[in-house]
Order: sequence, then structure tokens, then C-alpha cells
Amino acid sequence: MNLPGKMDVEKDKLRQMHCEFNPLSRCDGSVMYSQGATVVIAAVLGPIEVKTQNLSIDGSYLECNYRPKAGLPQVKERIREAAIRDVLELALLAEAHPRSKMSVQVQELEDRGSVDACAVNSACLAMLIGGLPLKCSFAAVHCIINEQGEYLLDPDQSETLHQRASFTFAFDSVEGNLLLVQTKGAFKIAQFNDIECLCRAASAEIFQFYRSQIAKYHGRSEAIADQKEEPSSMET
Amino acid sequence: MTSTSTIVMPGDRIAAIEELAKSKRVILGPGLRRQDETVVASKAGPLRHKEPSTFWVDNYQRRYIPARGDLVLGIVRSKAGDLYRVDIGAADTASISYLAFESATKKNRPDLNPGDLIYARVLNASADIEPELVCVNSVGKRGKLGLLAEGFFFKCSLNLGRMLLRENCPVLAALTRELPYEIAIGVNGRIWLKAHSLRETIALANAIVALEQAGYTEIDKICDNLGDFLQA
Repeated sequence: MNLPGKMDVEKDKLRQMHCEFNPLSRCDGSVMYSQGATVVIAAVLGPIEVKTQNLSIDGSYLECNYRPKAGLPQVKERIREAAIRDVLELALLAEAHPRSKMSVQVQELEDRGSVDACAVNSACLAMLIGGLPLKCSFAAVHCIINEQGEYLLDPDQSETLHQRASFTFAFDSVEGNLLLVQTKGAFKIAQFNDIECLCRAASAEIFQFYRSQIAKYHGRSEAIADQKEEPSSMET
Repeated sequence: MTSTSTIVMPGDRIAAIEELAKSKRVILGPGLRRQDETVVASKAGPLRHKEPSTFWVDNYQRRYIPARGDLVLGIVRSKAGDLYRVDIGAADTASISYLAFESATKKNRPDLNPGDLIYARVLNASADIEPELVCVNSVGKRGKLGLLAEGFFFKCSLNLGRMLLRENCPVLAALTRELPYEIAIGVNGRIWLKAHSLRETIALANAIVALEQAGYTEIDKICDNLGDFLQA
């Protein structure tokens, strides 16, 4: 997969998103997802066998692992895992598979800004292609206030060097409820509200991206469904 | 089936089905669930419809969820008292009683060892219980079920398995024209193949796996290329 170079993206637009489904063969669903130059691979396994200590008769147990590009996972990665797990728990239809485990693994390949949001989005795509039952899909958006007080949506790492504040929001696809709020830095509540609106608008673009990628993936197999019905027709 | 099915995402409300449900009894298949009076999708994929009123989401999936009546390929993992533990690719290992084989009695046990491949039918399965298999039909005859000896076993996605299991699947017919073979396809995304020689078996397996990667548009090309596989 060719990494996109640093392109000039307007400050209120998301960087270009790209995804490739099922690069991994041994898991139930995987995706290599990139936003600009930030790339992650997410994989899901489930429903699979669960340890007795985590076994629940009401629903499945959700496990989430995040691995950095270099080094062993530290506390920072555990915080990311907890954030991703919180969002996933809200979206997963756990009652569908009691006494089992859903395992989500996220591997950071390249962190060039907004990797929290990227990780959450890749986890969503992995669950969609892995066939896990979900109540809704979700999307995360990262936005910062830079030194000049401007709002920069989905910044590249170079743009975050002197940020005043950083926000990561996650929204659900059905009602647009806020699922995750992570902030860092100093800001006013008015700015928080403005940025939340900006991110919510951007999340619509991400949901459209999910839909189009799934459609494209299934578009390959539509042709055989047609061929079965009318073997003499032209290939679509 | 329409050639352009709508893609649904989890959380999408399907108003068309709700409309239909007001006048007729509608069957909701995998990927759809009922929430009070609304019908909501829980998986992402094309929405399929079978006359008169069955709907489901045809999502991509590799993990098998056991359902009663399915024909599956399982690998025997261990013997445990009166039953064998069989791995069918689901969350739980399935069990099969040693009496669930043709002409099996308490004295005459079937000759199955860990590592053997069996073609079985799912007798009982639900979200809360371990699946149970049988290798006999309701009158006690084995039919096509039982131990599969020799041959080559490999895994694929559930979608590919279902596609091959359809009536009039052009793939299997096209492959039969090339060379004779024996095949067992489980709905749990597992396939067993046997042809006259090792090379032919591997060539067939590669052809079927290539379908999954190629996106199903090139059946004829793959069948023509089968000749190349055999020459190689």
C-alpha cells in the first residue's frame, strides 16, 4: 500500500482515508486503514472461547489490545485500549453471543497524527468486515486548536507541534450520540462546543466512507450472484 | 435476487421490511433483528430477499455460528467418555456421541481418532448451548456423512462455501469438466477435496481459493487456468 504524501488538505477537512480489507488470513476480519499518513491494522476474532474468569452468561466479553509500532505496550497504550474498548462496548451487540469472547487487536504501523481516532475507526471497520453483530457503527474524529486559535480538523503530526488543545470525539451512526470524549490542553467551553459540532459533521463523511468501502468490497461478489441467475448475460 | 442490492450498515432501519410486515408475516434472517416495531440491521452487507418474504444480510464472515440442520466439516479433537469433541470452527467445540454413527452400538464403537475429519450434521445448536453433531440421518443411515479419509482439507470464508453449495453452481460443474474429483463442503467455511493425484488435488484447491481472492468474476478464466496449474 503506497503511503500518501503530505497533501494540502484544508483545515476543516479530513485527510484522505484509505482501507484494504482482510490483509490477514488467520483472523475473522481485518483491515489496514489509513488517514493521511497515519496507518493502523486492526483485526477481530470472535466469537471465540473465553476464559472462565471472564465468562458471562449475558453476553460476550470484549477484549481490546493496542500495540505501538516500536517497543512494548506501556501505560499510554493501556489508556488507548481502554478508550477503544469503551466505545466498542457501546456498539457491540453482546447479547447475541453469550459465553464467548470478541477480541479486537489494533497494531499501529505509522503515527502521523490523530492515531487515537484512526485506531477507533479501524476497529469499527474490522468489526464490520468480521461480521460481528453491532447495534450501530461509530466514527472518531480528532481536532486541535493551534497556536493561532484556529481549529484544525484531523491534523498531521507536524501541525500538532504547538497545539493549545486537542480533542477526540467518537459518534454513533444512528443518532449521532457522543460515545467518547478525550481532551487535552486549555480551552473554553464555547470552543469545545464548536469543535464538537465540527467533528460531528466530519463523522458523517467517515460513515459514508464505511458504507462505500463495504459496497465496493461486496461489489466484487455481486457479479457472481448475477452470473448464477443469467449465465448468458454480460459480465457487470 | 436483484443485481443491485442495497448495502445496509449496522443500525440502519429497514423501512421496506417494516411496511411489508404490516400486511404479511416476514422472516428475518441473519443480520437483521427486531426492536419492538422496527427492523434494524446488525451486520454490514447487501440486503438479500427471497420470495415471498424472507430477508437477510449477506455479510462477509469467516467465523461459523452453529445452526441446527447445517452440514459441517469437523476435526475430531479428543475422546471424552461417551462422546467425541469436534472442532467445527465455532466458539465452542461441538460434541458427537459415539452412538450417532451408522450401526454403532455400545460394543461396536466407531473407529475415530483425534485428527480425523468428519462430515456431520448439526443436531442442536443455539447461542446458549454447545453444538451437538450426528453422522446419521433420522432413519439411522449414514448417507454422505461420516469419516472423510485421505484427501486435502482447507478453510475458506462462509460466503464462498455457501456459493459453492448453491444448486447449479457453475464452478463445480466447470471443474468437473476438467478432471474428476470428490468434494465435501461444509457451511462452516471448510472444504475437503480428493482427486486422483496429489498435484490435481492441490490444483483444484488453489482454483477454489483463488475464487475468493479474485472476487468471483473470473470463473471461466480460473477453469481455463486449471490446465496451467496441472502443467506446473
